[in-house]
Amino acid sequence: MSYKITENCNGCGACVKLCPVHAITGDKKSLHRVDSLLCIECGACGRICPVTAVTDSFGIVCERIKRSAWEKPQIDLKACMPCGMCIETCPVNCLAPSEPLPGREPHAHPFLKEDKRCIGCGFCAAECPVHAIRMSPPSVTD
Amino acid sequence: MNRGYMGKILWVDLTVKEFREEAIPDEIYEKYLSGTGLAAWLLSERIPAGADPLGPENILGFVSGLLTGTGSLFTGRWMVAGKSPLTGGWGDANCGGTLSPAIKRCGFDGIFFTGVSEKPVYLLIDHGRPELRDAGHLWGKDTAETEEYLITEAGGHARVAAIGPAGENLSLISGICNDRGRIAARSGLGAVMGSKRLKALVLNGKKRIPVYQRTEMQRLSRQCNKWVQLQPPFISGPLAAYVGTLMRVLPTQMAMEGMVYKILLKKWGTVSMNQMSVEMGDAPVMNWKGSNEDWGIGKSLSVNPDAFKAREKVKYHCYSCPLGCGGVCTSKGPYGEVHKPEYESVLALGGLCMNGDLDSIFTMNEMLNRAGMDTISAGGTVAFAMECYEQGILTREDLNGLDLTWGNAAAMITLIEKMIRREGVGDLLADGSVQAARKIGRGAEAFAMHAGGQELPMHDGRNDPGFNVHYSVEATPGRHTIGAQLYYEMFQLWKRVRGLPRPPLVYHKDRKYVADEEKAVMAAACSRFMNVANGAGLCMFGLFLGAARIPTFEWLNAATGWRKTPEEYMAIGAAIQDLKQRFNVKHGIDPRSFRAVDRVVGRPPQNRGANKGRTMDIEKMRSDYWRQCGWDCKTGKPISREATHVI
Repeated sequence: MSYKITENCNGCGACVKLCPVHAITGDKKSLHRVDSLLCIECGACGRICPVTAVTDSFGIVCERIKRSAWEKPQIDLKACMPCGMCIETCPVNCLAPSEPLPGREPHAHPFLKEDKRCIGCGFCAAECPVHAIRMSPPSVTD
Repeated sequence: MNRGYMGKILWVDLTVKEFREEAIPDEIYEKYLSGTGLAAWLLSERIPAGADPLGPENILGFVSGLLTGTGSLFTGRWMVAGKSPLTGGWGDANCGGTLSPAIKRCGFDGIFFTGVSEKPVYLLIDHGRPELRDAGHLWGKDTAETEEYLITEAGGHARVAAIGPAGENLSLISGICNDRGRIAARSGLGAVMGSKRLKALVLNGKKRIPVYQRTEMQRLSRQCNKWVQLQPPFISGPLAAYVGTLMRVLPTQMAMEGMVYKILLKKWGTVSMNQMSVEMGDAPVMNWKGSNEDWGIGKSLSVNPDAFKAREKVKYHCYSCPLGCGGVCTSKGPYGEVHKPEYESVLALGGLCMNGDLDSIFTMNEMLNRAGMDTISAGGTVAFAMECYEQGILTREDLNGLDLTWGNAAAMITLIEKMIRREGVGDLLADGSVQAARKIGRGAEAFAMHAGGQELPMHDGRNDPGFNVHYSVEATPGRHTIGAQLYYEMFQLWKRVRGLPRPPLVYHKDRKYVADEEKAVMAAACSRFMNVANGAGLCMFGLFLGAARIPTFEWLNAATGWRKTPEEYMAIGAAIQDLKQRFNVKHGIDPRSFRAVDRVVGRPPQNRGANKGRTMDIEKMRSDYWRQCGWDCKTGKPISREATHVI
């Protein structure tokens, strides 16, 4: 299963820059393609595409969302174990272990270290077994 | 259909610098799982009999676990396997950290190396694209420096496993490091990597790992996590030592409840057992000839768990571990922030050598991690040299002027430096105590405490004979991470596997030394269960929660879509055990030669201390174990082509 780029593609290259696994190739101003063996279905290409030329694994056309409105992980430290699964699963490595909280056992919980790199894929939330991560629009996160 | 596993492995031929992907049939995963099970299947078939462990025919495999990355807990272990240059037979080592998911996220269940590179190289896999790069500039650097450099070069987020100078120098007690000081230390596989001139693996992959029922996996994990987080706040470090004293003086003992150990691990890590183990007779002292009376509470006070807690800056969790038994500590030595030494390292560099200097233990532990040398074998070898010095077999001149008396921490540090660099007497000792004893002669063999050529861990089989059984019967001898009577009690397998005996809640200690059939059933169950665990990538400490609390078999079914019973998984464990034993026989190993040495099995028994008067019938226990495995009970060799497993 993989995302696909349709004939509507104008070759702007926005998706190429964003794809965390370098699965998208194509010359400027020409039709781009997704390598289905490399695609991890993070959906970033679909959200960034200005001409809605990307379909998801089910063939549904992806809706463009303004990047500033992309959802970000919100971490509930009380529920977090912390086990590091979210850090390892993040395709753009924007999560990192924090400094331990004072006055408690010194565990390093994850935090969104590089806010601007986050592509809103939600893998971290999907893989957290204890539901300690919720994806929320930036206004809620802030 | 791949579920839980990636369905393929990568072959890297270092001689001709070629890559080849191999699809693994689903039946193989169903038969041997992934991890060391998969490695045992591949290596049994593909390493030719008589292959030189340090030659091009040997295969070195890095494998992840079947459950790694599936939403399960405690499944961050990666394993390395090959023919061991230390024992001459099956070799594997197991390590935590973050490498295990990285292997799978590159799209593979394992990465296998053949051949020998002409020049030092490292493997980079960047989003599925493998490449061998020159490592000439890294050769000679320690594991921490190498890792730092390669992570930076790969963009800041890759996962790295590397050898240090010990592996490069083909030290037979060298291992492979990741996460700046977590080491797959046993079996001497760092030397195999060094012989192939492979400095490191750099893995940068983000593939998703397929799971059959992710929501079910997570539900099981949440249930398990509730047990992990159950933690009373009132336990104290100083008390731990006296608990050990109490356990020593009482004639009876209770079957160990793994939740108690979990509570200790979560608070202090493995060092929680330091003083307690010495007091109860679990930790060997003075190269296994001493006892708690030689290294009593006063002397071992420096390694009380609270001494480590005071230096712990942040807890360290391996991937998918909710427990966090590791830690990053501040040290007073030259290295600044370092990994908290583990129980094995502390006792091997501490009580085994009568060394109570905590700063020196931190320093030596970090030196060895950076060099990529096994702390257990290094400590055992230093203790061997100390006893040889005491006996006059090694002189001060032989030791390049070192006054290697018991507890001389400064001399130990210098000796370990020499071993890492293979300098002077260090060259003699860099391959472990058995190799050194053969070269020294003059009766030195009597002071090498080993099984099958590998130095023994810090659990005394005179206290728990189950350790001596596993030291003596496993395909990788001298290992403490497979079984013991204590482990059987904590695994609580009888709650999930039909037909396994339930130990009494309270029993007289003498019962442990009776070589009966039940002990063999328990030992075989431990071996099988740990083979399943090492196929799944599970951490033994998680399994100590007890089989009713950590859903090993349920996770495997939910990840893969299989519908296997616990008994069927135990049969898989038995099949893996069989493969490894056949590997050894194919390579000319006589299983009888792996028996732990006389002193370790209480011949003669000690005349004082916690294990006073204790001896065990290791031959009977070993024979019973072999029978349980369906092997010849006199020789330990598998009888038929297909194993006949008793479950």
